Amino acid sequence: MAKAINNIKRFELSPEDKRQKDLEEVENALIDNKESILELLTAVGHMHDRGILSLLNGLFGQGDKVLNVLVKAVDKPEATNTIKNLLLMVGTLGTINVQQLEPLLLKLNSGVARVAEYKETDEKTSYFDLVKALKDPEVNRAVTLLITFLKGMGEDTSAMERNTQLPEDQKMHKMEKSERDVPPNKRE
Amino acid sequence: MPASLNIKINGIEMNAKQDQTVLQLLNDSSIEIPQVCFHPSLGAIETCDTCIVSVNGEFVRSCSTKIKDGDVIDTVDPDVKQAQTIAMDKILFNHELYCTVCDYNNGGCEIHNTVKAMKINHQSIPFDQKPYEKDESHPFYRYDPDQCILCGRCVEACQDVQVTETLTIDWERQRPRVIWDKDVPINESSCVSCGHCSTVCPCNAMMEKGMEGEAGFLTGIAKNTLRPMIEITKNVETGYGSILAISDMEAAMREEKIKKTKTVCTYCGVGCSFDVWTKGREILKVEPQAEAPANGISTCVKGKFGWDFVNNEERLTKPLIREGDSFREAEWDEALDLITRKFSEIKEQHGPDAMSFITSSKCTNEESYLMQKLGRAVIGTNNIDNCSRYCQTPATVGLFRTVGYGGDAGSIEDIKNSELVLIIGSNTSESHPVLSTRVKRSQKLNGQKVIVADLREHEMAERSDLFVRPRAGTDMVWLSAITKYIIDQGWADEKFLQEKVNGLEEFVSNLEKYTLKFAEETTGISIDNLIKMAEMIHEANSVSALWAMGVTQHLGGSDTSTAISNLLLVTGNYAKPGAGAYPLRGHNNVQGAGDFGSSPDNLPGYQKVSDPDVRKKFEKAWGVKLPEKAGLNNHEMVEGIHEGQLKAMYLKGEDMGLVDSNINYVQAAFEKLDFFVVQDIFLSRTAEFADVVLPASPSLEKEGTFTNTERRIQRLYQAFEPLGDSKPDWQIIIEVANRLGAGWTYTHPSEIMAEAAKLMPLYAGVTYERLEGYKSLQWPVAEDGTDSPLLYTESFPFPDGKARLYPVDWTPALEFPIEYDIHVNNGRLLEHFHEGNMTYKSKGISSKTPEVFLEVSPDLAKERGLKDGTLVRLTSPYGNVKVKCHITDRVKGKEVYLPMNDRGEAAINLLTSSYADKDTDTPAYKETKVKLEILSEEGSNPLPRINHRYGNPQPQIGVNVQKKWARKDYIFPGEMVKKERKQHG
Repeated sequence: MAKAINNIKRFELSPEDKRQKDLEEVENALIDNKESILELLTAVGHMHDRGILSLLNGLFGQGDKVLNVLVKAVDKPEATNTIKNLLLMVGTLGTINVQQLEPLLLKLNSGVARVAEYKETDEKTSYFDLVKALKDPEVNRAVTLLITFLKGMGEDTSAMERNTQLPEDQKMHKMEKSERDVPPNKRE
Repeated sequence: MPASLNIKINGIEMNAKQDQTVLQLLNDSSIEIPQVCFHPSLGAIETCDTCIVSVNGEFVRSCSTKIKDGDVIDTVDPDVKQAQTIAMDKILFNHELYCTVCDYNNGGCEIHNTVKAMKINHQSIPFDQKPYEKDESHPFYRYDPDQCILCGRCVEACQDVQVTETLTIDWERQRPRVIWDKDVPINESSCVSCGHCSTVCPCNAMMEKGMEGEAGFLTGIAKNTLRPMIEITKNVETGYGSILAISDMEAAMREEKIKKTKTVCTYCGVGCSFDVWTKGREILKVEPQAEAPANGISTCVKGKFGWDFVNNEERLTKPLIREGDSFREAEWDEALDLITRKFSEIKEQHGPDAMSFITSSKCTNEESYLMQKLGRAVIGTNNIDNCSRYCQTPATVGLFRTVGYGGDAGSIEDIKNSELVLIIGSNTSESHPVLSTRVKRSQKLNGQKVIVADLREHEMAERSDLFVRPRAGTDMVWLSAITKYIIDQGWADEKFLQEKVNGLEEFVSNLEKYTLKFAEETTGISIDNLIKMAEMIHEANSVSALWAMGVTQHLGGSDTSTAISNLLLVTGNYAKPGAGAYPLRGHNNVQGAGDFGSSPDNLPGYQKVSDPDVRKKFEKAWGVKLPEKAGLNNHEMVEGIHEGQLKAMYLKGEDMGLVDSNINYVQAAFEKLDFFVVQDIFLSRTAEFADVVLPASPSLEKEGTFTNTERRIQRLYQAFEPLGDSKPDWQIIIEVANRLGAGWTYTHPSEIMAEAAKLMPLYAGVTYERLEGYKSLQWPVAEDGTDSPLLYTESFPFPDGKARLYPVDWTPALEFPIEYDIHVNNGRLLEHFHEGNMTYKSKGISSKTPEVFLEVSPDLAKERGLKDGTLVRLTSPYGNVKVKCHITDRVKGKEVYLPMNDRGEAAINLLTSSYADKDTDTPAYKETKVKLEILSEEGSNPLPRINHRYGNPQPQIGVNVQKKWARKDYIFPGEMVKKERKQHG
């Protein structure tokens, strides 16, 4: 005769047993990850020495508050502009051809070196001095370089700007069909 | 033969198939085109305008433009790009981009992805907030008007896929928005919480609440910090390109903490499959996939939101052993030792037939296979059954008699494509919600006709083209009468009958007595309506018959099922698309449990235990001698216990003590068992009678396969580890068996399937590899993996390949003494499953449907002085229930409806009898009469005002985009581009 019953005597672990079981679990985890834990401990030691731990404690202990302060600090035009500029700069940096830039930079360096040596005097340069200077092969090379640079700078590059262009104005879409080697509308 | 079309895309000539849109062609050719509102499962909605291309020089929406011969299509012209950009700008006016702190930033956001793909870096119309609050009233999802781009996907899904018709967009307002019913809070609307809207939303406007603050790394932050955070993100995001990379990175990082697991729903026989998103043990959301074979993007409230039970604290996590008047939690070893000792003792003392095994239509195929193998091969008895005995065994018998396979004749796709759907005794939209949406949609949009025969005017009845209310238990009569009328009119499919069917003559002579007049007198359906039904069946090129418990749970359930199949044979409605018999399986694996031998007379694959050749095959495979005599079905088991010959029972995943009929009698039997083992996820009513209760794991914690109502076999994957010390059923059965000396070595369910497939011709080609992910197979599956979505196309599985007309006679319903004057209909509700062990654990579901209620007609209410909330006692000759009334015109006259979702004083089976279908012993649940007395006149309404049944749906087709186009401030982007071009020469 088994009458319906619905009370359950839960399997209550005594506090000691529970502690024992938990300890065992932790112990196993420690042994399983011996190498990484020892390494971690070394790192933690260093962090403690440098005061990073107490810094992090403050940060995480007051997580929401700190985040709020941080977010409010960042939520200012200068700050967001900085981030925005950074992102744009990162994008632009990527377009610079360093191979071409290297000789230019070397030249710039040597120019700067000369200027550093240059001492402030009352000496003035006349038109004649200028024309004369053009005969100096060093100066002439520099001026030719500058003129070429100015030409390049005058070229219209607006079509390459990503920050202000509507998609239909971007260079990619303007090219004649035959010019496109890879159709932009193909899935990669 | 459809000619192919010659067209030119971006200067390249190509061929295209007829009958497709430009967008379809472009997508198929991998030409990338923005398409924010387009969803492959919804079709063209035409609200976003981002898919504009130029066709023959004209700007058109590619999603709704059919390809014609000679079309010249341009997708790359700067003007095309400009038109698309204008469209996208208008979207961004309605949607704030703060992706990195958005819960929807999971790689699937259409807006994010389109902005990226179009290389949009800033917007010319700045975002502007809408003057509406977020609607957070609903327990499962919320609507944020500020993020809503008014694409209308949700409306399309609600109106034309789910067809609940709650959502619309009010295009007339200054700032349009989505509204519920006539603009009420979501929770007070007719919304049935199916989740379609949040599934199809392209962004974070309509979102599952489980996702909120959980999905992202930065989305869980306090609200007052979030706003400045959004501002930062926005300020930084003016050049979207670079910042989208950061949110993409964040989205990728989310993959690490969010697990997506494909599973198959366990709440009905439709077999919906979907991804479950989990984080630890938390469920973030259920995400249906277009590729899911049975349901696509569809779900119902239970499948989409009803999984809270998995982590409920009442889950059993340790074996329980009865000790005095309580259970004691024990370790597995102790429980299994006890079971082994008791089983061995009882077998030794009383023989194997003193033991019985009940497997579950909720568990996997592999688990049913092991359970019957344990009973047959380890213990040595055929006393094996499962709960499909309570529902659909009569339908299986009806089909075996006539067409040879005990399963749906085709797929849900066939039901969708059928010209006429005949629904008999099935509350389809509540019991098989997703399947019903296919019928509702076809009827609403594609001219499908629907006939409903039912006692209750449920949703399908309300929507039907013809609704008849036969007297309870008389379906067989009207079915036979219209079959006879069709034959008499010469409308029978002579060719089909001659080539493919036997037994016409005998059948026709047996039909003699079923005249229209006799049918009218017996069923109460007018001769006019009978003729109308016959005409509709005759006129339709394809008829699908759907039936469920309203047919089977009667004294003559098998015969009525047979009569349905006979009618389909006479009219040639088998073996062609869109036609056939569809006994809708109630639970997720009713079909599979039957397939895998969970019955006293069948070994797996419906192979008879009485057949010596079959036994020899199984004996060879299993290495044991098998019992020859058919065993007891579960009805007979209860008798057997009362008579004292059955001593022990091992039951898993069934609440037989509640769901069997006449439960006072069943529970009394449990009390008499010498030893009773119950395996479940909760301490069910049945488990309360057990000596040992074993903690099992639900579907989300294990692997295996289910077979749905379409005979479709699908795999489920493990989302969680089993909770506590609970274990998947298959593992438990293996442990029990091995302690009894079985020596089973299965380590994974795939090995069980591999063994079963070798023994079951129906499943010959089934392997786990062929079922990987969303792949599925519909049996019979040939060894090479070819499956059978539509049955009987070659022949019927009888020796001569022909179907059989099987004459049957009517069994009148049970007679009750005159004082039992009220008929109690009973069955399911949309939002609860079975006795409610699982769904009442969902806070959201319980808030909207907290308790069971008795549907009473206005007439009866008036006659007896009943009101909403009146507490009544119903008394049948077998027991009584106490339940509160809810007055509704869904029921009529002296007919009341008591849903089955209660395990206490209102449990329907306290009233039902032990009478059963004469052929299968399926209880005649539907033949129950009671007397009604009032216990307390006043009471709170058991159905709160926030229940969807009080809502006011607003039917319309789609999103009514014409109203958007008619707005004064709307200009088609193509027009704008043209104008500009003119101005600038």
